[in-house]
Amino acid sequence: MSHPITGKRRSILIYSFVWLLIAVLQGVIYLYFEEFSIGVIIADPLISNFLFGILGLLAWYPTRYIPFQKQTPVYSLVAHLAAAMLVLFTWLLLSVGILNGVFTQNVDYIAFLNRSLAFRGMLGALVYLVLVLVYYLTSSAQKLQERARQEERLKNLVRETELSMLKSQINPHFLFNSLNSISSLTMSSPDEARDMIIRLSDFLRYSLKHRENEFVTLQEEIGHMKDYLSIEKIRFGEKLCYEFSINGACESFPVPTMIFQPLFENAIKHSVYESTEPVTIQFDCFPENDVMKTVISNNYDPSVPSRRGTGVGLQNVKQRIDLVYEGQGSVHWKGTDGNFEVTILFPRIFTKR
Amino acid sequence: MNTIRTIIVEDEKPARDLLKAYLTDFPAIEIVGEYDNGFDGLKAINEAKPDAIFLDVQMPKLTGFELLEVLDHQPEVIFTTAFDQYAIQAFEQNAVDYLLKPFSRERFGEALSKLRSRLDKTSGSPGGKSAIEKIRIHLAEGEEKLHRVVIKKSGKIHVISTNDINFVEAQDDYVMIYADEGKYLKQQTMKYFENHLDSEQFVRVHRSYIVNISCIERIEPYEKTNFILILKDGNKVPVSRSGMQALKSNLDF
Repeated sequence: MSHPITGKRRSILIYSFVWLLIAVLQGVIYLYFEEFSIGVIIADPLISNFLFGILGLLAWYPTRYIPFQKQTPVYSLVAHLAAAMLVLFTWLLLSVGILNGVFTQNVDYIAFLNRSLAFRGMLGALVYLVLVLVYYLTSSAQKLQERARQEERLKNLVRETELSMLKSQINPHFLFNSLNSISSLTMSSPDEARDMIIRLSDFLRYSLKHRENEFVTLQEEIGHMKDYLSIEKIRFGEKLCYEFSINGACESFPVPTMIFQPLFENAIKHSVYESTEPVTIQFDCFPENDVMKTVISNNYDPSVPSRRGTGVGLQNVKQRIDLVYEGQGSVHWKGTDGNFEVTILFPRIFTKR
Repeated sequence: MNTIRTIIVEDEKPARDLLKAYLTDFPAIEIVGEYDNGFDGLKAINEAKPDAIFLDVQMPKLTGFELLEVLDHQPEVIFTTAFDQYAIQAFEQNAVDYLLKPFSRERFGEALSKLRSRLDKTSGSPGGKSAIEKIRIHLAEGEEKLHRVVIKKSGKIHVISTNDINFVEAQDDYVMIYADEGKYLKQQTMKYFENHLDSEQFVRVHRSYIVNISCIERIEPYEKTNFILILKDGNKVPVSRSGMQALKSNLDF
């Protein structure tokens, strides 16, 4: 946080103007109530107020580094008092010292100066208090603004993720190709067509019903993935095989909804689409120590140069796991010798929120 | 009425079944083959020289568009795909038709009457660019980034990832593509490669050369004012003055 006065040119001007005004006021009071020479009337207010103006800027630092909320009241009070004493003492020493030096001959004024010492100290303390209050006000206003900005940024981030999440949920090409398959099946085998329509409906209903921040049981989510794969199976026939091996203890484990969807979609996009050989997608899930481990693997043809960029779907899944489990879960992937594998660790301590 | 010989290239069996079922309404159309991937389709089209093909875009080995690029024989093309982004803007006038899945029997019938009138016309006046030539031109003007390049070399089809390209050299109407596995001649313009290769990775350093910057070993002065690139594979590539500017801005020096 920058100094609220020296940080901006405008506030330097206002601050200087206020001090000049006080100096002028003091001069006018001297002119009417005391019988000083014109030199004193000009010099005393200028020197003492100029010095206070400079030292007053320092009062910001105790305000800045002794935030009310973080320290005990006694500590804050003692620290502020110490800072105030230091500033006031320095100010009195400098201003009275200089004025004493300049006007040594003027006995009346020197006597007045010494008499007014206590009064000057009190007035100084009052002004110091006002300054500290102003500083606290501006600093909390700055903090509020900063917080509002941060909240706005967060909100934008969340909105963006939500949007991309929604987009990734239903791939239009999947939908249209499936409808085309159905259109074909209505002629060759109406029963199969009806079956596919029902599975597609289940898939769509599930996709539309669940918000991305929701948790469902692993069993539910896997049921949904099986719907998805069985639809793709009709399109690709023998080319697509899939196996699920799920430890019974994991079935009721809560997982973020649609978390596996991009991974299965990737497996199909990068291996089944690109290969003429059968592709097997294997899903394993088992408890391990304190976490639930899921491994999705598939074979692919490594000789085919990929046509599209990889990694967006994976990054999305990783981001979501990081966000949802606050860094306690993890997503890893590796591709070797025609086998691609994604491992997700779900922390056990997280339960349905 | 002459029979029209066609080939179906489509990777999904239900989609092929649908085409065949629709085609039973049109006895004048003969299906001489059906293939579930771009490679087999390509070979069959070159051998059987059909009048027309039904072509999917998304397929293993070669996409529909890549297949068209390396085809010797040029049949009329009816695209059948769920991807609308290629179609609507660029191809509808050039290919005979572009069928968006799923499509109706009526819509399919329309495509076939377009095909018939196209075939009647081309047999009457052989002049003019074929649909495929036009598609090639449109492909060249398309905005999509290249991830791989398909090349025909001594009867074989090579699919090269752009990451494996070291540099590209202009050779009249062709370009020579230098990759780790060898060099390949392709009928294409330098402009096309300049526009479609990833500009983060490839820089046109000379009127006749585009270089993959990750393959540069060092840059040496050459003659008085010029520079020359020494590549990791040992090849040397001249750099023009504007090429040097481009290199500088890309490599930040």
